[in-house]
Amino acid sequence: MKLTGSQAAIESLLHENVTVIFGYPGGAIMPIYDALYDYTHSKKIRHILVRHEQGAGHAAEGWGRITGEPGVVFATSGPGATNLVTALGDAMMDTVPMVCITGQVNSAVIGTDAFQEADVIGVTAPVTKWSYQITQVEEIPFVFKKAFHIARTGRPGPVLIDITKDAQLASFDFEYPTEIKLKSYNPTTQPHMGQIKLAAELLNNSKRPLILAGHGIHISKAHKALFDLAQAADIPVALTLHGLSSFPNDHRLYAGFLGMHGNYGPNVLSNKADVVLAVGMRFDDRVTGRVVDYLKDAKIIHIDIDPAELNKIIHVEAPIVADAKPALQELLNHIKKQKHTQWVEEFHKCNAIEKTKIWDNDCNPKKGPIKMAEAVTRISEATNGNALVVSDVGQHQMIVARYFKFKLPNSFYSSGGMGTMGYGLPAAMGVKTAAPDKEVISISGDGGFQMNIQELGTIAQEHMPIKIVILNNGFLGMVRQWQQLFFDKRYSMVHMQSPDFIAVAKAYGIKGMKVKKREDLAGGISKMLQSKGPFVLEISVEQEDNVFPMVATGASVSDIRLE
Amino acid sequence: MKNYYTIIAFTENTPGVLYRIADLFLRRKINIESLTVSEVKNEDQSRFTIVVFAEPDLVEKIGKQLYRIIEVVKVIDSVDTDLVAREIALLKVSANKLEQRKEIEHLVSISSFVRIIEVKKNYLILEKTGTEKDINDFYELMKPYGIKEFVQSGRIAVFNT
Ligand SMILES: Cc1ncc(C[n+]2csc(CCOP(=O)(O)OP(=O)(O)O)c2C)c(N)n1
Repeated sequence: MKLTGSQAAIESLLHENVTVIFGYPGGAIMPIYDALYDYTHSKKIRHILVRHEQGAGHAAEGWGRITGEPGVVFATSGPGATNLVTALGDAMMDTVPMVCITGQVNSAVIGTDAFQEADVIGVTAPVTKWSYQITQVEEIPFVFKKAFHIARTGRPGPVLIDITKDAQLASFDFEYPTEIKLKSYNPTTQPHMGQIKLAAELLNNSKRPLILAGHGIHISKAHKALFDLAQAADIPVALTLHGLSSFPNDHRLYAGFLGMHGNYGPNVLSNKADVVLAVGMRFDDRVTGRVVDYLKDAKIIHIDIDPAELNKIIHVEAPIVADAKPALQELLNHIKKQKHTQWVEEFHKCNAIEKTKIWDNDCNPKKGPIKMAEAVTRISEATNGNALVVSDVGQHQMIVARYFKFKLPNSFYSSGGMGTMGYGLPAAMGVKTAAPDKEVISISGDGGFQMNIQELGTIAQEHMPIKIVILNNGFLGMVRQWQQLFFDKRYSMVHMQSPDFIAVAKAYGIKGMKVKKREDLAGGISKMLQSKGPFVLEISVEQEDNVFPMVATGASVSDIRLE
Repeated sequence: MKNYYTIIAFTENTPGVLYRIADLFLRRKINIESLTVSEVKNEDQSRFTIVVFAEPDLVEKIGKQLYRIIEVVKVIDSVDTDLVAREIALLKVSANKLEQRKEIEHLVSISSFVRIIEVKKNYLILEKTGTEKDINDFYELMKPYGIKEFVQSGRIAVFNT
């Protein structure tokens, strides 16, 4: 089949079962957009025009996290491509599959500082799993095949293909490869049996075992395998931020949320565990606190598909390079059925302490302004936890992670590794596009919401019925909290004046409502949930509310503060 | 304790690999003491020979992180005792007077792995191969005569096992 490079690029996407592209046109990618004209008109593929390339990147991340398939982005050369850097970095840190296609100036003028030329491969190398610049049209089929293969296999990640304008315009005989085999890239997915036996022995002899599960459970779709193993060996399960919703949070073995603002139990008790099984998580510093005394007395088993994660932060007794699912399934075959009743109860006791000290007052205050935790709890109750929740970054993010009672597996999306403010709203577009039948709720702070507020335009134009919640505390809350606690309350540049969000939404043609008083909260939430289209619900919350518990930076998780 | 390590990485022979490898060392703040890239015969691969002075633990970690680069096929890190390693140096040594020239020629004839490759009115160009130490020693030996220019390659190495 004789095709231009531009047509070949889109045909390649169809071969990879891509149905949606998030993008923004410009000079160097115009031939591709011209070819796209036919494909979108014949409804073979859908293109969503964002308002900023960063928005396209995060939308693709949302898509990638819910489907497990790479989200696809189009952007032009120069500023179009550099606008993607934050989203690429975010996807790289958070292990999200994504394929970005950027236009590039003519190959003849590369390196001459041509108009809208940027060294995209150079700029993005540290934030991509792989990248390649196509200058010859014939390279297109193989490079696309390779890009998708790399993005979705092993430890998933973002990949970038930069295509020069002349390669987009040239013609050639298109044929898409059916198979791909790379000499240098063959991720190990099956666990080593010797290591599994070693791990099983450690668990079988353990009195106080603990599972730390992360994003890998979702990526590997290992929810059942995790559940079965925990159940059989009676091991409490604590989850990282990205691991949330991978284990039922109403289960007796659910130990809670790990990390700086996580639950009291899994933080203090992790240092009492004698064997820790870490799976699909990477011992981020927000989880470990001060590393030198983290899990000091425990023997550690670590399952990860990326060998570079093993022994990276802490020493492990049983490193297992594998996909989480087969590793957990295999482990189950070697595990003794056990009961750790007393140990499990210790977590319940901790929860009871946290409940009286924090939960009750945070979620159900009787007087004073609305609290963030209260708002999140009411939304959680109103949806019965049956929603896909996308949060931005800040205090509200930790509050959502702590208090939303996720019912659906893989139903919480947030920027973890990079902590990218502005992630939430565009990521929710990707999630909603991939799961149109599910309730998708985006929850942001007043600061982060304004970092990609322009995407309200995309949401309106594409009629995406996303439920958008802004928890407005009038501050860059998380930074303010740190200034209060660690910088003598010297509030430096954290007070933020915001526009009338409801009027802004209205200007975009999006309905909205502002809630200031407790008695209006339930009504506002139900109005939002009943709305057929997108809806912005702004909730004025207590201005100087703090998130607790908290492990101060540099402190041990054992020293977690309850107030 | 810090030590010298030679990291040998086999990679696919495509552009951009060097960039990614260099970036990794930069991020980990490991200074590259020397770097040689050569083609692997009969295979479309490159062989990176990277010498670093670093903690063993960090060398192991960077070895694993190198595997994250898609084009990297194999990484082996080793200490000097596992290797036979050589470098090459070119020295442009002043030789204005006959006396000097004779002395240098004599030293060259009794040293191993040194050749005179260029003879000019005012100088000689010498080629010395050997280990870093051999080359340093020879440099010191020539220093009194006046070294007008000196250049030394990165290390190349084969496994001695
Ligand atoms: C792009 C970016 N810039 C700066 C920060 C640092 N930062 C982390 S949380 C935060 C405050 C967020 O404020 P807001 O969005 O209002 O949410 P809140 O904490 O009040 O819930 C800031 C500035 C960041 N994470 N990302």
